[in-house]
Amino acid sequence: MGEFEKLRIVTGYEFLKHVRRRRLYIILGIALLAEAAMLILFPVLSDGYPRSVMVMAALLTIGPAMASIGAIFFAGDAIAGEFEGKTGFMLFTNPIKKLTLWTGKYLAGYIAVALLIIFTYAIIAISLFVIYGQVPFEMVKSLGLCLLYAAAVISVTFFFSSVSKGAMGATVITLLFVWVFSGILESVLAFTGNPYWFLISAQGDSIAYVYGGWEVFFEGFAGGNIGSMMEGFQTLSVGMAAWGMVMYMVLGFVLSVWISGRRQLA
Amino acid sequence: MSEVIIIENLSKYYSKYLALDNLSLRVPENENVGLLGPNGAGKSTTLKILCGLIRPSSGKAYVDGINVAEKPEQALSRIGAIIETPEFYPFLTPEETLSYFGRLRGMRGDGLKHRIKEVILLVRLEDWGNIKIEKFSRGMKQRLALAQALLHDPPVLILDEPALGLDPRGVVEFREIIEGVGREKTIFFASHQLVEVTQICNQVAIISHGKLLAYDSITQLEKKYQSLEHAYMELTGGSIG
Repeated sequence: MGEFEKLRIVTGYEFLKHVRRRRLYIILGIALLAEAAMLILFPVLSDGYPRSVMVMAALLTIGPAMASIGAIFFAGDAIAGEFEGKTGFMLFTNPIKKLTLWTGKYLAGYIAVALLIIFTYAIIAISLFVIYGQVPFEMVKSLGLCLLYAAAVISVTFFFSSVSKGAMGATVITLLFVWVFSGILESVLAFTGNPYWFLISAQGDSIAYVYGGWEVFFEGFAGGNIGSMMEGFQTLSVGMAAWGMVMYMVLGFVLSVWISGRRQLA
Repeated sequence: MSEVIIIENLSKYYSKYLALDNLSLRVPENENVGLLGPNGAGKSTTLKILCGLIRPSSGKAYVDGINVAEKPEQALSRIGAIIETPEFYPFLTPEETLSYFGRLRGMRGDGLKHRIKEVILLVRLEDWGNIKIEKFSRGMKQRLALAQALLHDPPVLILDEPALGLDPRGVVEFREIIEGVGREKTIFFASHQLVEVTQICNQVAIISHGKLLAYDSITQLEKKYQSLEHAYMELTGGSIG
């Protein structure tokens, strides 16, 4: 029996686990609530929706946040969980390469997150069509970047899962890395005019900036009156952001496979 | 008669702690061999190395002529194993779990479905086949572990305290199952229960501090030491009043 067939089997059963757990439905519910909150609160708290469909599209883009949350919750226990929960004693005594196993778990996690992202973008598209009668083509770029970003975050999560003793540790460290450490460093480097394309948080931010850069995005906040706060700030180009995501996706996964291959289930 | 399990000069360090010290032993085909020893003797370490779960610091292990370290997937295809207290994915049912592992071993379609029902019946879990494992007791998980070890009808069974957690009836049923399948398989199993080992095995290896102290038939050990219990106690440094 070939490894590709085993890969299909692992992916199928790992995805079944994601479906059986409540996490997928909880995150879908969170996505729905977040978008609903934006759509309801905006006209209530200001003079209706933004004039520009691009501004509204940028404001509704919670895909990166959902991609991060989904990736971390579906992938945090992928490797660490097998060691921590001792399910590895059953799974690893089957004749399957670890590479096949981890790839199957990766694909299953990615499919779950991709469904979540597509669901979110479907809500945005329907909302924009109802409010403005149009859906900007930039949404396709945004969706493509978001799906690539999800792959990158899953790889980062896999890396931390491969080095962590437990699933909770892997989840927390990944959250801290993606949202806190990377975010702070991005701010400092961006505002001091230094390169920051390699930071995963910056790559995530670029997903909303496809609608016209930070000027369009911040127009939605207090009518764009943000003073000199964003002077000198340069957003990442789509190309740079995509390359950065590919780097995390490949490096994170390769490192996680290498490290977990050396881990022993004692 | 060929030797299905070959352990050659196996040593294992956990940091500075020496868990196995140049252990060598060979298990002939279709023999049932018990691995006895006190806590920390190296029994589980030996079985985990045979299953490719940990790497030896030195030495080699072979299953059916296959070097476990060099070709782990090939070696594992010949083995059915229960290692430590078994844990399963709580969101799956026994049928789904066995289907997963069976398919990974190349089993398919009606043949797999039939075999799943067979082993579930064998371990007396027929009323629980479609219940999620999160509702299972430890003993029930132990039974399921035995089912997954037997599912693909492997020539070699490697069992680490397989009756742990079972109620007295379960222990008897387990022994009967192993005695039944043991006639056509090679069984290498670690246990603290001398009675269990006496009833299932015809040969015993006694280890302590990672070293092999004795490896002989139970009959011979009983001749030398009056009983298996005496042999165990004397060889491992205990005493019987």
